[in-house]
Amino acid sequence: MAPPAQSQRSPSPSQPSGKSELSDLKLQLRKFAGSRAPGVDDSKRELFKKVISYMTIGIDVSSLFGEMVMCSATSDIVLKKMCYLYVGNYAKVNPDLALLTINFLQRDCHDQDPMIRGLALRSLCSLRVANLVEYLVGPLGSGLKDSNSYVRMVAVIGVLKLYHISASTCIDADFPSMLKHLMLNDSDTQVVANCLSALQEIWSAEASRSEEAPREREALISKPVIYYLLNRIKEFSEWAQCLVLELITKYVPSDSSEIFDIMNLLEDRLQHANGAVVLATVKVFLQLTLSMTDVHQQVYERIKAPLLTLVSSGSPEQSYAVLSHLHLLVMRAPYVFSSDYKHFYCQYNEPSYVKRLKLEMLTAVANESNTYEIVTELCEYAANVDIPIARESIRAVGKIALQQYDVNAIVDRLLQFLEMDKDYVTADALVLVKDLLRKYPQWSHDCIAVVGNISSKNVQEPKAKAALIWMLGEYSQDMQDAPYILESLIENWDEEHSAEVRLHLLTAVMKCFFKRPPETQSALGAALAAGVADFHQDVHDRALFYHRILRYNVSVAERVVNPPKQAVSVFADTQSSEIKDRIFEEFNSLSVLYQKPSYMFIDKEHRGPPEFADELGNLSIGEAEDNVVPSQRVEENDKDLLLTTAEKEETRGSTGHSQQASFGIDDLLGLGMPAVPDAPPSPPQLKLNAKAALDPSTFQQKWRQLPVALSQELSLSPQAIAALTAPQALLRHMQSHSIHCIASGGQSPNFKFFFFAQKYKESSNYLVECIINTSSAKAQVKIKADDQSTSQAFSTLFESALSKFGIP
Amino acid sequence: MPVAASAIYFLNLRGDVLINRLYRDDVGGNMVDAFRMHIMQTKELGTCPVRQIGGCSFFYMRISNVYIVIVVSSNANVACAFKFVVEAVALFKSYFGGSFDEDAIRNNFVLIYELLDEIMDFGYPQNLSPEILKLYITQEGVRSPFSSKPSDKPVPNATLQVTGAVGWRREGLVYKKNEVFLDIVESVNLLMSSKGSVLRCDVTGKILMKCFLSGMPDLKLGLNDKIGLEKESQIKSRPAKSGKTIELDDVTFHQCVNLTRFNSEKTVSFVPPDGEFELMKYRITEGVNLPFRVLPTIKELGRTRMEVNFKVKSVFGAKMFALGVVIKIPVPKQTAKTSFQVTSGRAKYQASIDCLVWKIRKFPGQTEPTLSAEVELISTMAEKKSWTRPPIQMEFQVPMFTASGLRVRFLKVWEKSGYNTVEWVRYITKAGSYEIRC
Repeated sequence: MAPPAQSQRSPSPSQPSGKSELSDLKLQLRKFAGSRAPGVDDSKRELFKKVISYMTIGIDVSSLFGEMVMCSATSDIVLKKMCYLYVGNYAKVNPDLALLTINFLQRDCHDQDPMIRGLALRSLCSLRVANLVEYLVGPLGSGLKDSNSYVRMVAVIGVLKLYHISASTCIDADFPSMLKHLMLNDSDTQVVANCLSALQEIWSAEASRSEEAPREREALISKPVIYYLLNRIKEFSEWAQCLVLELITKYVPSDSSEIFDIMNLLEDRLQHANGAVVLATVKVFLQLTLSMTDVHQQVYERIKAPLLTLVSSGSPEQSYAVLSHLHLLVMRAPYVFSSDYKHFYCQYNEPSYVKRLKLEMLTAVANESNTYEIVTELCEYAANVDIPIARESIRAVGKIALQQYDVNAIVDRLLQFLEMDKDYVTADALVLVKDLLRKYPQWSHDCIAVVGNISSKNVQEPKAKAALIWMLGEYSQDMQDAPYILESLIENWDEEHSAEVRLHLLTAVMKCFFKRPPETQSALGAALAAGVADFHQDVHDRALFYHRILRYNVSVAERVVNPPKQAVSVFADTQSSEIKDRIFEEFNSLSVLYQKPSYMFIDKEHRGPPEFADELGNLSIGEAEDNVVPSQRVEENDKDLLLTTAEKEETRGSTGHSQQASFGIDDLLGLGMPAVPDAPPSPPQLKLNAKAALDPSTFQQKWRQLPVALSQELSLSPQAIAALTAPQALLRHMQSHSIHCIASGGQSPNFKFFFFAQKYKESSNYLVECIINTSSAKAQVKIKADDQSTSQAFSTLFESALSKFGIP
Repeated sequence: MPVAASAIYFLNLRGDVLINRLYRDDVGGNMVDAFRMHIMQTKELGTCPVRQIGGCSFFYMRISNVYIVIVVSSNANVACAFKFVVEAVALFKSYFGGSFDEDAIRNNFVLIYELLDEIMDFGYPQNLSPEILKLYITQEGVRSPFSSKPSDKPVPNATLQVTGAVGWRREGLVYKKNEVFLDIVESVNLLMSSKGSVLRCDVTGKILMKCFLSGMPDLKLGLNDKIGLEKESQIKSRPAKSGKTIELDDVTFHQCVNLTRFNSEKTVSFVPPDGEFELMKYRITEGVNLPFRVLPTIKELGRTRMEVNFKVKSVFGAKMFALGVVIKIPVPKQTAKTSFQVTSGRAKYQASIDCLVWKIRKFPGQTEPTLSAEVELISTMAEKKSWTRPPIQMEFQVPMFTASGLRVRFLKVWEKSGYNTVEWVRYITKAGSYEIRC
């Protein structure tokens, strides 16, 4: 792969010609190491600069480590910084030599200049060598108590670094509680902000390990802390404000007056020049008012103007980030933005990623009053030079047509597209006309007249071709030469590469046959013959099936292949509302830009194969060490994963391995035997409160706050499926097991339930989301719990309760 | 977690690393290679500024001939990351004194490393204010050579100032002559249909200030915006003066502006930072005065000839004039020959952008120059009959004119020593994206 070559005109030090350069540097450094002559610092600076520039372009200069350390005894602050940078970069691969630097760094930690103290402390924590952590604890402790805020600021982040090197050392030294104290008392807001970031990171990483972590996390969003931060918010830097605002979104106010107080306090943040602060504020407003429908609407109105300003200012990248969020809001509440549609008009020079979002927004906000303008605008784009955008705009016109009642004008426009005589325009328009006809069959007359004029030879794309063929079949009675077009298509059967098109061709020729038998008979024969001989399994099967059903009874065949159709009322939405809600919860993050919830791109198992790691392995890059790091990391992660699943197995082990084994065989044989074991799992120690109560808003808040403790897929017995005709049946059943339902919905085959349960004589709650699909007989269960440690026990309880459902 | 960047890279257009700074261990060392392979060497470049490769997300931005790439491994706050890059670049510029490009980075790489250390720690943004950083990062670019002696007197209370209440201004500034410069810069965005109706029109404006004031002055700015005027007349309980008032759709302010006072009294009051800064930004969609009206007619005469007639009228005051007016009229790719007649300025055909370019250096108000051109085309067989016309684009600057009509009513400076100040106010309107479909 491309080696990191440097441009020749570079005024920084010339390229090292090889090893000789390095040894030369080494000699020179050695010469200056002990010298205190005047002017030495200048020469050292030049040398150091050379070393750093080599390091930047990826040349391994770690062999100079010893000499660099020797030269570091200097009072020149710039020299010191370069030296620290170097040491920080290479200490990890040279742990033994790193020990040499500890000495002078520790000395600098006691320097009288606070800048030097801060710098030394930062570098000390950046060494990242596990066996040197003992030297960190002392300086960090005194750094946190330093009289100068700069040193404290550095020390706080230092604690976080220490935590990542050795979590136990950090916890044992009781640093988190010191940070907590600092956070609530320090006069400097940057120190406070750093404490907040550090604590958040430490406690969320500790969550699985320690018992106090959830409590501490809870404490961060407790009323006193939140109010303390809110009251000082104006003192914080813009970045720290983002941090605090993000924290506030997790806070659950006790009543609506508190919500209004917070919003009043933060309203002026919407005028902040930093877009990130504005977005963070928007998130606070949206999250706080989720349960108050009409206020939530007002919030949309309020945040509209600032967001639109942000979109039109700043670099394209920044406005893209904001636009993605606006897009999300437009999709959630299109009617709020319907009068602002002009803001979503595309400019000629805008990058296509911006145009694409704008097209989607234009589609979403279209309503009775603005459809005409929007569609006119979209038609302009159809002639755009950027072909993907042109196609998107045609699809957008189609989508609007499918949303609206008054499609009169739009149909004309679409038909004009067909006459534009551009292949890609025709192709997309055909697909749309097909969808349109499925929804509004009454337009068939106008459409067919135009479609009939299109020569099938000009249509190449499979999707478009399939659409054209579908229309030929469906409306063969109205199209004079439909049988003959189909016939010519069948003649070229072998040249048709797409199986989808061939399938459509079979069906279309059948439909045509029922309407105009004499003209189509020969074509049908040819099509069936070609279909049966087809190598594609589906095409072959369909042809054979048609053939046999025709031989059996033609009128039955007609009823099967061409029954009278009902117009489609709604086309299926591609993204589930659950996923959309999840993305909304993660407002102001990458999820919005990727349009998928974070677990899909952060968690390893959802991400799919690590294509990237493999490719890295194949890269031939000068430094071998660098390649080792990522692969090791991946391996460690894998081990972690393995461990956690193994532990889960063990804890569940009490239910008995033998039973599981017998299940397996039943499943294999597909006997559909009751999945209920003869002896249900022994009821665990956990007792639930039969009269538990929880109001919906508390449930909602908790659901938002708590992490998912357990998530699993359960199989349901056939009896259970049979009994689950309506959600109510399951509700009564679960209630008898002290598991109460708070919300339910859905229709066969998909049901969704939210359950809750309470520990007996304790106020610890369990929340469950359960999605049942009766056709696959599976239940997706997600459990959240106040007390994480008992969630496994609860899960067992839930599972056994569910497994008894449907058994009289 | 707002950013928690794992690494930041500066690359040139070929993908060579100019600066790399790893903040966290959670990304591998070869992120640059991933960026080069998956983004720079593919058509992906320019399709989307946020991309996921493996488990990491890359945010990148091109600034002159440099790519700045931020790598994160968590679900980061994108807006914050981009804003950070923009702010960091502004900071570097204020250190280099001018441009930010590959050469500037190469010449100042030690300084950049030093700054990267201060502005971000372990992936969290720290202090990015140039005012404060300049107190303790004292290397003045490469323009002044290093002194051989370390400065043995650390700047007094430098670190105290780091996060003081007025973080953007140093105490103890003294100027012989106290001056304030205020520029209202507006850009007009227009999208006009081929039939001459305005599809979309708005103005984004900013108020730029340059302050050379001693001490800790308090400034108060009054504009002729509607809300501010109404509030004032309410307070003084007398009817608002007649005259044009402007309705601002939305305003954002520099952090120095007291937002609470803006919300209660609707006046813009602030303690300004020293030197140059952007005081506020605003957006207006209603009542925009377009400086130019245009009437294009483009006729295609058969397959090989086109006729272009173009009238443009300046509708601002006759005493004012526009500068640097450029009108780009697109023509088909297969243009062979062009001939022009213009009543003002100069016109020529630029094959590289497939446009007729008409330039008028000085364009007085209330005039109406015209261009008529004949375009001959090479007839080709392959070309389909219809030619998709890109819009006509216009560039201009009109000094002393605001498309919104916004005016400064007063700018008061108050400082406890009571010195006199000289205030300078300028207005200028530029073309943002001024597009006319034809």
